[in-house]
Amino acid sequence: MTERARVTLWRVAILIALLSAWEWLTGIKAISRTPGLYWIDPFFISRPSAIARRFVYLASGEVRLSLWAMALSTVQSTLWGFVVGVSTGFAAGLLLGRHERLARVLEPYIVAFNSLPRIALVPLITMVFGFGLLAKVVLAWTIVFFIVFFNTFQGARGVDADLVHSARFLGAGERQIMRTVIVPSALAWTFAALTPSISFALIGVVVGELLGGESGGGLGYLITQSLGTLNAADMMVALVSLGAIGIVMALGIKHVERRLLRWRPEYRTERA
Amino acid sequence: MERAAFEVLEGEFVAIVGPSGCGKSTILNMIGGLVVPSSGAVLIDGAPVEARAPRHVGYVFQKDTVFPWRTVARNIALGLEYRGVAAPERARRVREAVALAGLAGFEDAFPATLSGGMRQRVALMRTLVVDPEILLMDEPFGALDTHTKLTLHAELLRLWEARRQTVVFVTHDLSEAITLADRIVVLTRRPGRVKAVHEVKLTRPRDVIALRESDEYAGEYGQLWHILGEELAEHDGRRT
Repeated sequence: MTERARVTLWRVAILIALLSAWEWLTGIKAISRTPGLYWIDPFFISRPSAIARRFVYLASGEVRLSLWAMALSTVQSTLWGFVVGVSTGFAAGLLLGRHERLARVLEPYIVAFNSLPRIALVPLITMVFGFGLLAKVVLAWTIVFFIVFFNTFQGARGVDADLVHSARFLGAGERQIMRTVIVPSALAWTFAALTPSISFALIGVVVGELLGGESGGGLGYLITQSLGTLNAADMMVALVSLGAIGIVMALGIKHVERRLLRWRPEYRTERA
Repeated sequence: MERAAFEVLEGEFVAIVGPSGCGKSTILNMIGGLVVPSSGAVLIDGAPVEARAPRHVGYVFQKDTVFPWRTVARNIALGLEYRGVAAPERARRVREAVALAGLAGFEDAFPATLSGGMRQRVALMRTLVVDPEILLMDEPFGALDTHTKLTLHAELLRLWEARRQTVVFVTHDLSEAITLADRIVVLTRRPGRVKAVHEVKLTRPRDVIALRESDEYAGEYGQLWHILGEELAEHDGRRT
């Protein structure tokens, strides 16, 4: 058996063991024949079988707001927040990275805003932008922007002066230097921030959905709804779906990142 | 540096040697317009060098300045791109340069996958492909092993024989200077002054391997060593 197969086998084994233990432990009654009294109460953490049933039900067309619609809403807002955050963060990082004085002037504001716990902004964002898609995107943006901004800023500042000189000797004008030396150097740093950015975008969106109510939709709404109805199974469905979405998006971005940074030695060792 | 005056003729290969820290690279940077001399001037064809890099000057740095995110071919194409050379013409000249430098088959390779010698070859071709009249080289082979160095010496000489650019080559390696140059400017210790200008009387074209075994080479080396040795002895004498 190859090493890879062995690792996969162990992973599957652990998953099965965990699910079985969960299913089994939550089925043991504290006092026999007394209904509703368990050693480990499925009321709080549900059971795999119940979660699977709810999953099928919520994903079916029988519900008004299906799981698919909610997942789509979450993914959509996350991607919007990601795209807007990355592009504005990149532009700002590049601008400030190349303008020493502007960066010095703005530094305290940037640090102050970045130190602010983003979750504290949720009520304000809700007041201004309401409960819909826009509010979620704005929240994701406030997080992603800074991750990308700081990375790009570093990259734009740390451009190797010798590369700039050699470009100049090869006949480059200022705009050509920007396009062929500074932007690629900074982009290398920006790309490295993409994977954390998509994860943080998802966090921002879910936080927005937790407060956003039905008009925002999304899996975060399913969580608050489940809390309202004390339905642990539905909550688990939402959590599992969010986990899956998070993994798929992170892997997708990682793939893009590897492709864009294929010139870097550390990305050559792994085969994409 | 003070009173460092020397002349480089058109089509001449001049090497600058001297103890480290004496300002060899500074001279090159002044010629290239990267550094403005505090007094005095650098004249090219009688006109003073502006603070900007002149377009007909090529510069090969000691440090690896190949753009890591561009393939070999796209690195070599840089200067042509900057000058707005049309794509078909660009491709043709890059192909020529790649063949000339023995880089065929590596056009689409990223620099990270190449050896130091090959990367420096890319840097050299990238500079030569735009056909500079003056070529400034700052210890371009300093970081390479002896074998690679000799190979690149041979190639540089071959390329130079064909074009005869004016070359100013900074190095601390006497053998390198003798192998390549027509004349060698020897600088003194800090503050760097011109100690001597030594004429290398070896015939061209030169065979970089056979050359080293010749008596003429040994003679040149001896003379240069003497000039430099004087410099070292003087310095030590002053100290003690």
